[in-house]
Amino acid sequence: MMALLKRKSIISFIIIALVGAFLPFFLEGHPSDSVGAPFARPIFWNLKLPASTYFDITENKLEFEWKKFPPAIFSLAGKIEAEPDKTVVISWNTPQKSYVLAELTGQEFYWINMDGRDMIFKQALDLPLIGKSVDHLFPEKGKYSITVEGATFSELKLSLPGKRQGLLGTDQRGRDVFRLLIYGIRTSLLVGISATIIATVLGLGFGLLAGYSGGLIDSLIMRTVDILLSIPTLPILMVLAGIWGKGLWQLVLILSIFSWMGTARSVRSLILTVRESAWVEGLKALGAKKSYILRRHLISETAPILLANIALGVPGAILSEASLAFLGLSDPRLISWGRMLHEAHSFGAFTEGAWWLLLPPGIGIVILCLIFMDIGRYLEELIDPRLGSDKNV
Amino acid sequence: MSSKWFLRRLFSSIAVLAAVLVLNFLLFRVMPGDAVSTIIDPSFSPEAKELLRELYGLDKPLKEQFFIYIKQMLTFKFGLSFLSRRPVWEELLSRLPSTLILMSLSMFFSSVLGIWLGIKAALNRGKKLEKLVLRLGAITASFPGFFVQLVLLMLLARTFPLFPLRGSLSVPPPTEATAIVIDYIWHMALPVISLTLMGFGGWALYVRNLMVRVLGEDYVLMARARGLSEKRVVYGHSFRTILPPILTILLMSVPGLVSGAVITESVFSLYGIGTFLLEAVSGHDYPSAGAAFYLLALITIISNLFADIIYGLADPRVRIEGKNQ
Amino acid sequence: MFEVKKLRVKYKNSVNDAVCGVSFRLEKGAFTGLVGESGSGKSTIVTASLGLLPDGARTEGEILFKGQNILNMSEDKLRVLRWKEIALVPQGALNSFTPVITIGRHIIEVLKTHLNMDGKVADKKIDCLLEEVGLEASIKRRYPHELSGGQKQRAAIALALACSPSLLFADEPTTALDVVSQSGILKLLERLSKEKGLTVLLITHDLPVAATLCEKLLVMKNGLLVEEGSPKEIIRNPKDPHTKALVEAIL
Repeated sequence: MMALLKRKSIISFIIIALVGAFLPFFLEGHPSDSVGAPFARPIFWNLKLPASTYFDITENKLEFEWKKFPPAIFSLAGKIEAEPDKTVVISWNTPQKSYVLAELTGQEFYWINMDGRDMIFKQALDLPLIGKSVDHLFPEKGKYSITVEGATFSELKLSLPGKRQGLLGTDQRGRDVFRLLIYGIRTSLLVGISATIIATVLGLGFGLLAGYSGGLIDSLIMRTVDILLSIPTLPILMVLAGIWGKGLWQLVLILSIFSWMGTARSVRSLILTVRESAWVEGLKALGAKKSYILRRHLISETAPILLANIALGVPGAILSEASLAFLGLSDPRLISWGRMLHEAHSFGAFTEGAWWLLLPPGIGIVILCLIFMDIGRYLEELIDPRLGSDKNV
Repeated sequence: MSSKWFLRRLFSSIAVLAAVLVLNFLLFRVMPGDAVSTIIDPSFSPEAKELLRELYGLDKPLKEQFFIYIKQMLTFKFGLSFLSRRPVWEELLSRLPSTLILMSLSMFFSSVLGIWLGIKAALNRGKKLEKLVLRLGAITASFPGFFVQLVLLMLLARTFPLFPLRGSLSVPPPTEATAIVIDYIWHMALPVISLTLMGFGGWALYVRNLMVRVLGEDYVLMARARGLSEKRVVYGHSFRTILPPILTILLMSVPGLVSGAVITESVFSLYGIGTFLLEAVSGHDYPSAGAAFYLLALITIISNLFADIIYGLADPRVRIEGKNQ
Repeated sequence: MFEVKKLRVKYKNSVNDAVCGVSFRLEKGAFTGLVGESGSGKSTIVTASLGLLPDGARTEGEILFKGQNILNMSEDKLRVLRWKEIALVPQGALNSFTPVITIGRHIIEVLKTHLNMDGKVADKKIDCLLEEVGLEASIKRRYPHELSGGQKQRAAIALALACSPSLLFADEPTTALDVVSQSGILKLLERLSKEKGLTVLLITHDLPVAATLCEKLLVMKNGLLVEEGSPKEIIRNPKDPHTKALVEAIL
């Protein structure tokens, strides 16, 4: 048992499982929330680009130095109180020129919500409609300021989501990739492990049935196994996912239905060798019932192989789920690494060169696969000496 | 060649085909909701629907429907696509070459490269080459393919724009024949290269293991004792003996190839049956989805049968004894 | 024409020598028997004579064939020698044929390689060879697994004689055969040797068989040559206690 725990892959698995299960509670907000600009780079990448900066404008004035490239988004929001007959003017002053962001009059209370990407905004400032307004709003390094004139009270926030954001950047909707990555652990592990367990149970059941019954039932089951193995896996999974729905548990079921065959075959061949063996004959001669033999001895013989099979089967299930999600055939509301890759592929990550949308989920999948394969191989090594020796009562 | 053996193989394939047909039939007609709308586009006018209903025999009892369906499947009359309103068979036919080329090229290159490396590794036991091959084999066998493809795409199409980002041909395609061929090759290069890279490792490992075992056999020593050249001994006797199991693996790799092709077509946005299936399934275009799946299953079954036959030709022990290895 | 001089052979991973200083001579046309139990080193001498010792095996002494030392020869020279001059009928012929190649193709291969024979001429020669060993011509189209033990043995002899070698090693040619087939094979070897003036070294653990057929006997035990002489001499005056016991067991 101690040796088991010392194995690197088991330690890694435990760490990842714990992180996936509990870290989300410590992370603020929901992973689907947008935290910044789309396609923001990880915070450590390309330091020339600006990180996100936020300013609170409290006394109708804000001045600051800007040293880097323009941010991704220019956004001003908040409220202004003023006397109805006065004109409120909000200006944005760059080292090169000043822009009038708004000229408001006639009301006591104004909600401000400006986004530099809006057409109306660009029109109002006489900026070209094509291209980014931020490039014009931040023409060079230097002093910048916002002034609010004519208001009695203002509470504004200047949001400048940068091109660098978060540990692993953001996706096309501005969601934090690191958070998505952590939340995705659950999906991969849940789907991978449960699909494999169900498949193994099915395989055990059919294998036992075939091996112990023999005759027609055996042929029938084996025939079914052959046929199922001859059907191209991914296409049938695609069709089933498309027809029966993309939910999590439907996916698990679909995956199980097409992965039990291998286990069934090994269980059956094991049963066949055991069945012929002398000690089972002896048991029968002593009058033991079929079900007794089945329950106590055969199942305990197959258990170790099943464990190894489970460990080795999980990578397959994880990959299948990732493949289906990558093709877009999984629940869009479900956070999964495959889905992240799908969105990276379909929503412009390649055009943007956004490698941070590609590598984290992909490497995550690879690591999980490697871990389970190592665990499986380790279990096989443990079992092997037992398989070789003759069974004695 | 024993005809009994060949008939058994053929029978087995037909059994699988029958199972696929029944599965296909049930899948699409036993669905929740109006079964008819899986075959006839719901947005058609009522008159058109009536006509099609007669044509597809949907008013007849289920058993008759089944026979009509079988006839349609065997004659490749798949109806009209919901999305494009064109005959499904036309759509499939136009995409078939691309998928077949992708599958056969990648199978060819990965097996040839892998086999060659496997033989070389077996002949150079203990040396650096063998160790390298063993390590490569272990790595490539366990890596999730489509991630590698995505990384390659990012690296070689965006970071270093050597290859196109998407598509089977440039848009707009070139006009001249040779230019079209070159453009096509340029677009297919990354997909084929990536599939080859993913596949050769397993081959090399497997062939190396087989060769090492065979090279230790008595009959190989005897072949050397007969004064045959080393080349003859390695290829004419050793490799020739492991050819049947190699063909078995070729056989077993086809279903995986089909799945691999589907994903590859998606990653590189190629114009093939895989992407067609995906669009159909995502767009609830049931006639197209069913037909595409049927076609892919057919490809699998036929290549399995084909490889089975080649296996029988290669290993005389199988034919004459009639047993399965 | 074949002489072994103070031969010592040690395999890579073993402690003791497989062959520890063996010397003997084979005259042209002689039918000699090399007798010993398994592990006595007899098969090693055969393997060494064909230059087929495994990597890492160390040798001392000489194996001279028509004056040339086989242990010093390059692989290219050896290849010319093999089968054309020195041939081997291997132990039990169990696994000596490549399973996926017909008997005929085995023979054509050596005919082409060593005698540059092809096509119809080669085909005729095959039929001839098979007939000589008492097999039907149709055997050439059969695969090894289709033949019985006796047939395979005969085919192995036919294959060995294909290029008319001057020296033939017959390594346990009758193991795993029934008594009737055994005597058939032995008679065949005897006749062929006489007809073609072939120098034959019959390797066996069966002393009576060797004594019956061979003009001279060599007895090996634990890598050493313990007896050398005509069968009569050895049976009358066995020098080694072990041979004594063997002889007594027979008589």
